Amino acid sequence: MIQFKNFSFSYGKNETPNLHRVNIEVEPGQFVLVCGGTGSGKSTLLKALVGLAPHFTGGQVSGTRIICGVDHTDSMPHQTAELVGYVNQQPEGSFVAETVLEELAFTLEQLGVPVPQMKARIDAALLATGLDHLRDRRVTELSGGQQQRVAIAAALSAGQRVLILDEPTSALDPQSAHELLDFIHNLCRRENLTAIVAEHRIERLIDLVDSVIVVSKDGTVEQGLPGDLLARFEFVPPLIKLAQKLRWPSIALSVEQAQQQIQLPVEFKKISDPLTKDLAFDLKDMTVEYGSIKAIDNVSLAARAGECVAIMGENGSGKTTLLWKIRGLLTDSAMVPQQASDLLFLNSLSQEFSDSDDVAGVPETSTAKLFTEFAGRLDTSIHPRDLSSGQQLALVLAMQLVKPAKVVLLDEPTRGLDYAAKQQVADVIHSLTAAGKTVIFASHDVEFVALTANRVFQLKNGVQSADDSVAVALSHRGTLATQVALVYQTDGLISLEQVNADA
Amino acid sequence: MQSIAKQIHPATWWLLGAVLALVAGSSTSLIAPAVIIAFSVATILLFREDAGWARSLGFYLWLAAFVVAVRILFRIVFSYSDPSAEVAIPLPRFQLNFGLGAIEFLGDVSWNSLYGALVDGFRLAAIILSVALATTLANPRKLLKSAPGALYEIATSVSVAINLAPQLIESFNRVRRARQLRGKSKRTSRLAGIVIPVLEDTLDRSLHLAASMDARGFGRRGQQSNRELITARLLGLIGLLLNLFGIFVLLSGLGAMTAIGLITAGVASGFVSVRITSRRKVRTNLVKQSRGWLDYLVIAGLAALLIANFAGWLR
Repeated sequence: MIQFKNFSFSYGKNETPNLHRVNIEVEPGQFVLVCGGTGSGKSTLLKALVGLAPHFTGGQVSGTRIICGVDHTDSMPHQTAELVGYVNQQPEGSFVAETVLEELAFTLEQLGVPVPQMKARIDAALLATGLDHLRDRRVTELSGGQQQRVAIAAALSAGQRVLILDEPTSALDPQSAHELLDFIHNLCRRENLTAIVAEHRIERLIDLVDSVIVVSKDGTVEQGLPGDLLARFEFVPPLIKLAQKLRWPSIALSVEQAQQQIQLPVEFKKISDPLTKDLAFDLKDMTVEYGSIKAIDNVSLAARAGECVAIMGENGSGKTTLLWKIRGLLTDSAMVPQQASDLLFLNSLSQEFSDSDDVAGVPETSTAKLFTEFAGRLDTSIHPRDLSSGQQLALVLAMQLVKPAKVVLLDEPTRGLDYAAKQQVADVIHSLTAAGKTVIFASHDVEFVALTANRVFQLKNGVQSADDSVAVALSHRGTLATQVALVYQTDGLISLEQVNADA
Repeated sequence: MQSIAKQIHPATWWLLGAVLALVAGSSTSLIAPAVIIAFSVATILLFREDAGWARSLGFYLWLAAFVVAVRILFRIVFSYSDPSAEVAIPLPRFQLNFGLGAIEFLGDVSWNSLYGALVDGFRLAAIILSVALATTLANPRKLLKSAPGALYEIATSVSVAINLAPQLIESFNRVRRARQLRGKSKRTSRLAGIVIPVLEDTLDRSLHLAASMDARGFGRRGQQSNRELITARLLGLIGLLLNLFGIFVLLSGLGAMTAIGLITAGVASGFVSVRITSRRKVRTNLVKQSRGWLDYLVIAGLAALLIANFAGWLR
């Protein structure tokens, strides 16, 4: 269906190639996962498949790109628009029209499809994606999951047989993410669609895909069956780590497969609560209104010193608003917003360090020391924009923690991070709580929450809906279950660290 | 009522706004501007849709009121007193001399001069509300959709920019809030600290959008022979030159008829050029709005209004 033969790509003539001699082939009707660490070139590979690299990004290519048996190496993206549909990381920013119907019509209008045929195609696309009831709604009014579906429907409306998606679930809560991936999987089965999806949280779709493409930092790309390929790699989801830890002969890709390998009852470490009862803060009846809409309504939250609380809930349930409210009420708090780079505007790391020292009125190199503690030693002439998301988070934290702060607030600290970078953020959180600080963070990522939080505070439509210990909130009984919880179905067991390897 | 508004072509709304502005501008009494203001506000309230671009009536009303107030204030401050006229507001007179001759301020204000200021102000307010009528009732996207094929790329850029504007405000607010987390920097100004992240954000978003539009077939063109292309470009250039020359002739007073002839020829040449380039388009339109009987009714009414206005029946 779509194929690369000896395909190489680099941004500059003498630079190291971002993609090096890639040979991949995807059969019709396959659901393919593209994975790799942050900055490994997953997005570049997808853009090269669409033709956006090099035609849009610039750069040099060699080798061949074949779509539906035809050599399309030199085709511009708009010339292959009826063959390949592409949805990038932020579909909400890629809409060109006002309503769902017009959005779906856009590609067809560009291709010059006659109006009667256009209407039939749009109806078919709406029906296939189950969006018929939304056809006259404004795209900006839809939920994150619905917007993703509209973007997919729009990418398929011209009858494209190949769908390429760049991290479609990064902004979705666990439930919507699960529904969306199931939906893509069904499209592949029912409509014989070929889907190629880049994703960080591999656990979300590993049991659905037919084949896996792994992009490494040196630009080499491997393709194979999920079971064969992933066993060898480091950045793997909890299920595969479980297999590695317990030294199973073969890895398990789905919860069901893992359940056949385990022995019950299992011995595991209970999650203990060593904290004192000292409250770091106790905020009651917080309400924030935007016009007539209550973003959060009478929410009360208390936390102890050294505690880590995860705030979970759907998009728009008021997580961010709650964090900013707490930040406003507690003067001795530090906060990292969703886009940490919003705070960075100087030209080098060293400038940011010394500016931060000046502003806080602390001795020189205070910020640099803190940053090194969080992220290790780095070349300080580097531009802050070139830091990884995890490093930017560490920088913004260091800037605020040079002044004493008891409470640290983080808004979705792991959005778009790979497993290694997530571990880095988890380490930062652990060192903060070990120093007696309270950490409150918003997240969709249950595995990360299991790794870091003591407590899970859930919001629904701006109202508190649950406040449980992490072992209860992420247990196999709820919708936020971790993979390990699902496998063992044992109360109190939610994370890999708890499992005893020698048993 | 909104369904009737949707049947009317966006270009017709703009024509209505333009004609009303013309009539208001050429009026010398208070009545015509007052009627036009009342008509515009009533029409907007009756027909407007509940969308972002249609919610700006309040802003236009404030602007109009501000213009009237400023007009009257200026007349009071810089009044040229007429000793024979009846005094409305007796005020002391000031003289200031900056070495360039004396300037007089305030002084007695007559009823006549106040009325004149009010008419001036109302005329401007009526023009503002005529424009408000066009902008709030004509959906900008639909207007852009009826742009000729040669201008399609430009029209799309404009309509995408309309989409991006609210996002720009949103990211501005987000960055400003985030900026407070970091104390006042000594290296860059407060403005740079906000503008740099916002611009980077906007640039990123625009690139994302452009890439996605490209992947969806935007920018496709049909084949066109070189001869056609050269003819179109030549005609465009000739049209531009004719227009420039025509405006020069008009402004230098060398003959109004010659100027009008030159400008007409220039516009016609440009029109043909656009027509030829438009043949290149391969696109189709899902909803193509054509003019209906309602549009022709409005246009006929406007023609009658223009004739009546310039024949002097309205004064």
